[in-house]
Amino acid sequence: MAKASPWYRRLGGGATPAMLLLILMLGIYAVYEPSALTSFGISNLLNNAIVLALAATGLTIVVLTGEFDLSGAGVVAICNVMAATLSMGAPGSMGTLGLVLLVGLLVGAINAYLIAILGLQSLAVTIGSLIVCQGIALVLLPAPGGEVAEAIISGVTGDLFGIPIAGIMFVALALAWTFLKNTRWGIAVYAVGADPVASRLSGLNVPTTKFIAFVLAGLCYGAAGFVYSAEIGSGDPRISDSFLLYMFAAVAIGGTSLMGGRGGVRGSLVGVGILTVMQKMLFAIGVAEFYTNIFNGLIMIAAIFFGQLSPLVARIARRRPA
Amino acid sequence: MESKRISRGIAKAAAAALVSSMCVVPLSQAKAKDHYKVFLNMSYSGNSWQAAAANGIKALAATPPYDKMIEFKTVISGTDVQRQISDLQSMIAAGADAILIMPLSPTALNRVVKQACDKGIAVFTYDATVTQPCAHNVSSITARYGANTAQWMVNQMGGKGEVVFNHGVAGTTVTKTYDEQAYGVFKKYPGIKIVGDFYGNWNDATSQEEVAKILAAHPNIDGIWSVDGSYGSLQAVINGRPARLVTMAGQSNNGYRLAIADPAMQAKGLKGVSSSSGPSVGGYAFKLMMEVVTGKKKLEQQNVEFPLPWVEPKDVKVCPGDAFVDGCNTFPADKVSALFLDTSLDGKLLPELSIDAVQTGNPKAGAKMEELPPVKYADTLPGVNCTDCTPPADWLEPNLVKPIPVPN
Amino acid sequence: MQNKQTAAIGETAGHEKPVRRQWLRPDARPAALVLLATVALIVSMKLVNSDFGSLNQLTAILITSIFLVVASFGQGLVILTGGIDLSIGVVMGIGGMIIAGMTRGSDDMLVYALPTALVCCAGIGVINGTGVAVAKLPPFIMTLSSGTTFFGIGLALTAGSSQQPVAPALQKFMSGSWLGLPLPVWFLIVFAVLATLVQNGTAGGRKLYAMGSSPGAARVLGLPTTMLTIAVYGASGLCAGIAGILLAGYSSSATLDMGNALLMPTIAAVVIGGARVTGGAGIYLGTLAGALFLSTLSTVITILSLSQGLRSIIQGGIIIGALLLQSSRSAQRH
Repeated sequence: MAKASPWYRRLGGGATPAMLLLILMLGIYAVYEPSALTSFGISNLLNNAIVLALAATGLTIVVLTGEFDLSGAGVVAICNVMAATLSMGAPGSMGTLGLVLLVGLLVGAINAYLIAILGLQSLAVTIGSLIVCQGIALVLLPAPGGEVAEAIISGVTGDLFGIPIAGIMFVALALAWTFLKNTRWGIAVYAVGADPVASRLSGLNVPTTKFIAFVLAGLCYGAAGFVYSAEIGSGDPRISDSFLLYMFAAVAIGGTSLMGGRGGVRGSLVGVGILTVMQKMLFAIGVAEFYTNIFNGLIMIAAIFFGQLSPLVARIARRRPA
Repeated sequence: MESKRISRGIAKAAAAALVSSMCVVPLSQAKAKDHYKVFLNMSYSGNSWQAAAANGIKALAATPPYDKMIEFKTVISGTDVQRQISDLQSMIAAGADAILIMPLSPTALNRVVKQACDKGIAVFTYDATVTQPCAHNVSSITARYGANTAQWMVNQMGGKGEVVFNHGVAGTTVTKTYDEQAYGVFKKYPGIKIVGDFYGNWNDATSQEEVAKILAAHPNIDGIWSVDGSYGSLQAVINGRPARLVTMAGQSNNGYRLAIADPAMQAKGLKGVSSSSGPSVGGYAFKLMMEVVTGKKKLEQQNVEFPLPWVEPKDVKVCPGDAFVDGCNTFPADKVSALFLDTSLDGKLLPELSIDAVQTGNPKAGAKMEELPPVKYADTLPGVNCTDCTPPADWLEPNLVKPIPVPN
Repeated sequence: MQNKQTAAIGETAGHEKPVRRQWLRPDARPAALVLLATVALIVSMKLVNSDFGSLNQLTAILITSIFLVVASFGQGLVILTGGIDLSIGVVMGIGGMIIAGMTRGSDDMLVYALPTALVCCAGIGVINGTGVAVAKLPPFIMTLSSGTTFFGIGLALTAGSSQQPVAPALQKFMSGSWLGLPLPVWFLIVFAVLATLVQNGTAGGRKLYAMGSSPGAARVLGLPTTMLTIAVYGASGLCAGIAGILLAGYSSSATLDMGNALLMPTIAAVVIGGARVTGGAGIYLGTLAGALFLSTLSTVITILSLSQGLRSIIQGGIIIGALLLQSSRSAQRH
């Protein structure tokens, strides 16, 4: 795709302006809040971000193929409720992880079948599956409660050789995507998202490509639900209700086109970083109350607006010599 | 300047943490000083209840002597629990002395609440609760709203009739607790038939839509049980079946209180009780928290019960002015919106507040903080305000209303 | 059944570009199907509960569907151009809050309050449209962010709830009736006719279809795509504003968050009605049918007295079912 790009463009995976914004916001946050750069502050930040990071990764993959997926919040809800009701019982921690991932996979596969194979509209189908999943979560656990096994909590929120597990997961996500996007399937994802008709004509299997994307996304949501459970230590069927919009915001801020074909997981991770640090930064500089909402909205618009400028500049720069 | 203050706060907090880790921490630690950093952490916002609660708290924080003593800040986290966790962490880092929370979940905040307690921060919740034992819950969730109101309706209806059930928000402990109690009471009377139920989401517009739909399918309903959205529910009946109204239990909307006390409405069959948790629980929790923080009061237990408002038609008394004095508890229709929650004010416990105070957050002119009477500790309800605990044996039974015998 | 088969063949033969003189007919089919499903729902409920399906019941459904019907017209227009409007819920709340805040329980200010509310709401839409058309921001994010921002502004100005009731005239409008039919039902009929005319009977409407199915081609043809986009988002804001005013009149008071629950249903109504999220397809009759279907469905579910979990499962399942049903034709392409 992209030819030899300078190092600073590779930094954010095509989301350079977003990356710069993130660094700027981190800087402001650190200036106003001295504890920001302590290990306590950093691990808090990573733990706040990792759930959204996992979910946004899943969403990114689907969005790259040119489809929508709203079911993420629903899967997170089911998995959270499952972790809170099962992990203390027979399945144990690892068993719960397996079951939770299986559920994510299953929902992803159902979405995939309806969208990739039957050709239904992804936005509408996943509104449906979102509502169904939220319903299932409410049936499984009608009110907040349950308990998540201590092994899961310490396993996810703790650290390994002094590095927070959440940080390791972040890096793992970025590396996994770097690997995946260079596979045959990964290349197909971008092609299908950019132009499905041309992809079909050139022999790519569009349904299969999309199918795998939805299933992988489901797995990511499942993992997000599991990590979420570890973060909050309990189950709450309504907990992910407001999660959805942040997922999309992270993806878009990270420079992934919602029309498909452009962007990537690393950008979304930067987007997650921006959303997480934004909350901390607004608090640190003393923006309180209602104005948080206003700033939230404006920063999102600004982030994307500047994000749009970079391909524009690149296009102009490319055109000039020609 | 700012950062200096913060780092001083951290040093203090660290010292407090050190102290607290060396000895067994009493539930609430008083550490009297002359300046306090206090945070209000709201979650939901954008509706009358939350607005009134927050304004009441703000007005109190600006009432002498607190206006000089407290550095007060409000933070709205929205409905995402991770944002609430993040904001609470920020408050801990900013060296808070006390945090008053409207928690999004009874369990999800436990870890961060524990972190705050470990730093010596006083953590109080209002209305909603957390199960973390180091926080103080101030709520009327344990006051058996569900059982008492359902029993009151049964008594008024003579133990028989068709009832519509207006749940609150699905998936919350409040809804589950109240529902269980109300269902339990209704079930004892075979003459009571629940013909429809819906989740009104504590919202008047939604409740009105849903009751309108049910009324069309069941034109003979006799009663509506609700937690909130009561005025909307009543509106639907007034519009759909104006000649024959219902027996109701619900919130304290001013329009609803005026209606239940209106002889013309009563003549058409309206019987209603106005109860349910009111926004003044926020102001009460704030006052209590400050008295604990400043060492004026000591709490022996984790959970404090805010008295359940209870106004029957005979108790409705319209106020001449714009505050609750001499036992009045309702305002004339032209003074406030029909949805105004009369329980935003409390003549006995929060005499510092006025209509203007709960609408704008400005303190009432000339008001001065008055000390609270002794608290009533709350029952324990597992999953609501504690984890490994037992509820009282009769927690599903009414304790304000005497049951009538089952008619045969 | 026979018809459906031939239509499918016709469409397959026509491939991506439907034949011009046929453009309305395949579009109208989802609308008819969804309306049929709505009737089927009502009939099947009548078997369970004999009181169901009375005239009272039907008008109750119609009155409570009016907010969705109005708001989803705007959403439908935006989706027609390939966009989406996620600020609708917030704009509804703002419209209601302005009406309540300005009229303060009397009719005197209503003549000023109505235009003010509508202009503000349309203004938010115009801002959205400008962001999308001029700054080229993705509609999803532009409208989401402006929703967040204006919710914040609304909160800062009002703390979230109107302190005064809305004008009694509005309340009377929402509960009054004329010739035996409730006024809101008359409003609904007039609105539906006007909306159908605007979307499917005017040159402007047809331009939107052209723009939605191929923005590039529309630009080449010399259509003022920028202005059209801004106008469409403005219209969506306006519709949300009207819906918010009606909702405030219906419940005689307003809160800032009162429209939030209606956002998802507007999208669902449009899509169930046969529109494509990628733009260029769908008629208002379909959206109307979708909105009525969703309202009926929620009524039926209310009457069934199920736990919220089961309600959601049924609701989501039926939405997917409706999609499966109406796109059984497109499945044959594979």
